[in-house]
Amino acid sequence: MNDPRNRQYTNGEITVFWIPSKCIHATTCFRELIEVFNPGRRPWVNMEGGPSRRIAEVVNKCPTQAIIWKYNKDLTESERLSQREVAREEENPQTLTGPEEEAKPKQNRIKPSNIRIMKDGPIVVEGKFKILGKDGDELKPSIMTSFCRCGNSKNMPYCDGTHRKIGFTDDTL
Amino acid sequence: MTELIAKLDLQMTRFKIIAGGPLEITGFFRIADSTGRIIAREEPVFLCRCGESKNKPYCDGSHKRNGFSE
Repeated sequence: MNDPRNRQYTNGEITVFWIPSKCIHATTCFRELIEVFNPGRRPWVNMEGGPSRRIAEVVNKCPTQAIIWKYNKDLTESERLSQREVAREEENPQTLTGPEEEAKPKQNRIKPSNIRIMKDGPIVVEGKFKILGKDGDELKPSIMTSFCRCGNSKNMPYCDGTHRKIGFTDDTL
Repeated sequence: MTELIAKLDLQMTRFKIIAGGPLEITGFFRIADSTGRIIAREEPVFLCRCGESKNKPYCDGSHKRNGFSE
């Protein structure tokens, strides 16, 4: 839990905690609420992007609890303290970790999409791409998504974290 | 200009969900395994979606035998 990459974000009423080591890239959060959860932006969580009730609703759908939320009045003393640290850090952009996107000059060449086969998990895709659904229709575009590989997602063709529950394994990787 | 756009569009990665079958990927892409090693690029590939291929992450036709549907 004391991973230095952990972050917390607040709008004054609720706080969202981000625990990257738990994330399986089910991408539920930003498929539901890109105004708040946008992995292409730094910081990637914008608590002003939606009402607390809606944020909490989407956070509750995270299959791994890589994001969780609390009312600010329920924060522990140490959580309150680290909130101040995080606030300072985010005012100072050079301390932020993550892809160095903005600094690079814009190139005309199209970048290949990056596709990752997660061990015992989904296919995670980042970049510019199109998705054609099983009926030939174009699905909602996104800058990142994850496709189910275990065959049991309730949200096909996307991953919903079911692979963990059913113990899907991947012996060839 | 329209030619350029058409070219870029052609290069854009396309993911095609094949009903009851694999995921077809075409266009300009790289596929890495979970350790970051590049295992495929640019040539069209079919990745298993049913969970039962013996040749993961690729499709081996198992979905036909196990009656995969969604």
